Amino acid sequence: MDPTLWTRRWTRRLRALFQTHAVDAELDEELAFHLDMAAQQNLRQGMTPDEAKRQATLAFGAVRKHREETREARWLSWFPDLSLDVRLGARMLVKYPGITAIGGFAMAFAIWVGCITFEMVNLIVNPSLPLPDGDRIVKIGVMNVQESSEESQILHEYTAWRSALRTVTDLGAYRDQTLNLIARAGDARPIEVAQMSASGFSIVPEPPLLGRTLLADDEHSGAPPVIVLGHEVWQTRFNGDPDVVGRSVQLDEVFATVVGVMPEGFEFPVAHDAWTPLRTDVLEQTPGAGPAVTVFGRLAPEASIEAAQAEVELIGQRMTAELPTTHEHRRPRVVPYTADVMPGDDLLMSIGIPAFAVMLLVLVCSNVALLMFARAATREGELIVRSALGASRRRIVIQMFAEALVLGAVAALVGLVAADIALRQLGAPFLEANVGELPFWFDVRLSPLTVLYAIGLTVLASVIAGVLPALKVTRGISDNLRQAAAGAGGLKFGGVWTAVIITQVAFTTAFPAVLLLEQQLLSRVNNFEAGFPAEQYLAVLIEPEDAAFGSDSQSVAARQAISDRFVPALERLRQRVLSHPEVIGVTFVDMLPRDNHPDRLIQLDEDVATSVARTAQASMDSTEPFRLVQRAYIDAAYFDVLQAPILSGRNFQPSDLIADARVVIVDQGFVDQVMRGRSPVGQRIRYHNPWAEARGEVLPPEPWLEVIGVVKELGMGTPSESGRAAGVYMPIMPGVQGPINMMVHLRSDPLQFISQLRTAATLVDPTLRLSEFKRVDQVTDVLAWVLRLWLKLTAVLSAIALVLSLAGIFAVMSFTVSRRKREIGIRVALGANARQVVLSIFRRPLTQVSLGVAAGAVLGFAFLWRMVSCQDNVCVETGIVSVTNVALLVVYGVFVFGVCLLACVVPTRRALSVQPMEALRAE
Amino acid sequence: MTPAKPSSAPSDVIRGTLELLILKALSLEPMHGWAITQRLEQLSREALRVGQGSLYPALQRLEEKGWVDSEWRATEQNRRAKYYELTRAGRRALGQEAETWRRYVDMVELILHT
Repeated sequence: MDPTLWTRRWTRRLRALFQTHAVDAELDEELAFHLDMAAQQNLRQGMTPDEAKRQATLAFGAVRKHREETREARWLSWFPDLSLDVRLGARMLVKYPGITAIGGFAMAFAIWVGCITFEMVNLIVNPSLPLPDGDRIVKIGVMNVQESSEESQILHEYTAWRSALRTVTDLGAYRDQTLNLIARAGDARPIEVAQMSASGFSIVPEPPLLGRTLLADDEHSGAPPVIVLGHEVWQTRFNGDPDVVGRSVQLDEVFATVVGVMPEGFEFPVAHDAWTPLRTDVLEQTPGAGPAVTVFGRLAPEASIEAAQAEVELIGQRMTAELPTTHEHRRPRVVPYTADVMPGDDLLMSIGIPAFAVMLLVLVCSNVALLMFARAATREGELIVRSALGASRRRIVIQMFAEALVLGAVAALVGLVAADIALRQLGAPFLEANVGELPFWFDVRLSPLTVLYAIGLTVLASVIAGVLPALKVTRGISDNLRQAAAGAGGLKFGGVWTAVIITQVAFTTAFPAVLLLEQQLLSRVNNFEAGFPAEQYLAVLIEPEDAAFGSDSQSVAARQAISDRFVPALERLRQRVLSHPEVIGVTFVDMLPRDNHPDRLIQLDEDVATSVARTAQASMDSTEPFRLVQRAYIDAAYFDVLQAPILSGRNFQPSDLIADARVVIVDQGFVDQVMRGRSPVGQRIRYHNPWAEARGEVLPPEPWLEVIGVVKELGMGTPSESGRAAGVYMPIMPGVQGPINMMVHLRSDPLQFISQLRTAATLVDPTLRLSEFKRVDQVTDVLAWVLRLWLKLTAVLSAIALVLSLAGIFAVMSFTVSRRKREIGIRVALGANARQVVLSIFRRPLTQVSLGVAAGAVLGFAFLWRMVSCQDNVCVETGIVSVTNVALLVVYGVFVFGVCLLACVVPTRRALSVQPMEALRAE
Repeated sequence: MTPAKPSSAPSDVIRGTLELLILKALSLEPMHGWAITQRLEQLSREALRVGQGSLYPALQRLEEKGWVDSEWRATEQNRRAKYYELTRAGRRALGQEAETWRRYVDMVELILHT
């Protein structure tokens, strides 16, 4: 196109958009010129001036109409009118405060849910590094294609990449280590240390707050040990000491000199507290051996991730050729740095959750659309007049869209502010409760992308709430004009609105089933009995130093050495803690009471004899025979410390702690459910995995274990699941299986004992990592917090559904009464009594509400019936159908029914007060 | 456009052809809206009546398509008027539209004579 013409065209378009008045004035001038010319021609033909003018206007036709048509032919012609429509929309918000409040709140809630879910999902599915050129930072890993798993012992590859890779610069590696930092004597606390190449500090070019970062020289095997501290560790463990650089600190049993402190927020590579050099002697590993490391780097200028992938593949092929025995199935791959860090990066997460949020929005906005339609219906006369005056259907639709857009914009603003507050206050704790500690790039607050998404949601909401009713209202508006002239209303509530009302009443009725389920889960968690005074016990997780990976003899020996040290250290710690006057007892358990105990299937002696256990599936739904148990490993003192006497048989003895003692103690739940009241003492049980057998895996049979005693129920099972657990306790020497919980029974407040316990542990062995201190009654706190959060959300959703239902039915009833005023007037005039009038009005909403309540009750009942929970391949139906719950649902259904009918009261009273003469005169 | 007998009553422009007729009128020289209606009536020997009011929305659509361009100029009587002019794209479009129209007329003729 000719550039001059192009420029002129766009100038004209933009003028029409932003200088509407001037362009309109020009159009008026042009039309006036035309009429003048026509009048002059008429004058020349001998007409009088007035006649000439009149005839010219007649020949031209409706000037205003043609003017409007010319304006509408302009580019984005609707845009200049939008500001007027927006102003009108704002006025409507004030004029109809009911719809504004109800519709606005509902839309705000839907947008709030949409924004929060989008932000959360986006953080996990589409993470981005808040670093310069963050998208060019990559991770290089190795996949084992045979086992479809990520290889972690890749130091040998790393060494090769370091010398050969050209497409990736600043190549480095880190190894995760949990080390005990002893900042003050007797105060060892675990911190997350990245044993990292100095190049990690080039990837994130942030200068240290104090001192220096790691240097390449620190990596040499003979270099003195150094550490760089993170801001939080510096603040909490060293009280922000400005002279910390140069201090010597103890890391486990090694002393290192603090050489620097990093600024707040620096947690590279993931969520680390401190950094030590990855020494070159660590790198000298045989292929496929050594500690687990992660390799990172930055794509070289001009290099793409595909080019880097091609290069590592080439190196990989060379290695496979050189080392076919160890590297046959190892395939290196280059991925964005943030890939594979968080769990849940799947289809459900990326599509399912946002789709649910959008569906919620559509549902809510359909209800708002119903209100808008009812409002538009009351303005039908106005719309018909506007149409008669030349407003096109498009014009009216745009105006109603603008009204909904204003409401949507206000709702979006409220929703966004609320989402920002919720994300800042609850986002990070919620994610941490579900997925653990968050990487440094997780900035849980409203992002610009989410704001854009909210704008998209707002437009969608406005289209649903504004355009749909507008299209319905304006359909066949010219016919309506005729009907209105004949004295009858043209608009009707058709099938769509009936469906909307039935759906919303159904959801209103069904939501409480979810609420009920959550409430019962929560009350189950809160009322889950520990069977002993849990608030008097302090629990702490104790872990040994990090064990080596791999199955090579060196790694196996290293692990054994750690275990050999850990077991006696725990015993020494027990003795030291026991000597404290505040302490009543000390015991060890792998899984704390009231925590989630894994389910296992067992067989009894008698099962094998009768082949009962082959019907493994039958045992999953709590029918006969009950063979699902929960297991915990405990030391010999457990029941004494928990002050739970043995009910029959005997307690564990120290001699039972050896590996092949093959004795167990069961709880009363086991006696009642598995044994059906028979004595289990002397019975033999063994664990059993029917799924592995079904898959064709050949496993050596588990050994038979003899039940030697019975104890009361002591918080075995899963707190959120219904039914009693059947507990099986196995004896264990504390520490032989690695991390274990210590429980300390105290005479005073258990939480006051934490620092003394730390000191004791540090003195016993500085490598003991103590974490997760809590009172035993606090075990379910996080679960209860998450459940309470869901409960509140569902309650708000239920309340919104209820209010929307009420408003919708009220709107429909008001509309019906006003529409049928004339008919009611005639009926009353003809002698109809109040009952007949009420019945004729009630019939329709009565049917809609009845259908909705029935559908909702079925939905809610089905939800309660089919609720299934799964854990480690074991799925258990946790349906909570009971007489009480069904009764509650029925009562609630009746309540919804009653409340919905209550919404009909005002319009009905209005209908009954219709005076025949007034009604007929008004028409 | 089939010329009608001058004696018969003027016909309205067939729906959809106004834009083609405007392009044709403008192919001779740039002119303002009033002149276009006059030229069309003149070309049809007074047999065609252009809906004057519908001329301006059509001109606006043609401008929007980039087929005509406009500018304000003084007329011979020294009055300010908006003159429309065919662009190169408009001239091409005229050829294509005219061809389409001829094909259509031939087709209708064919049907009427069978």
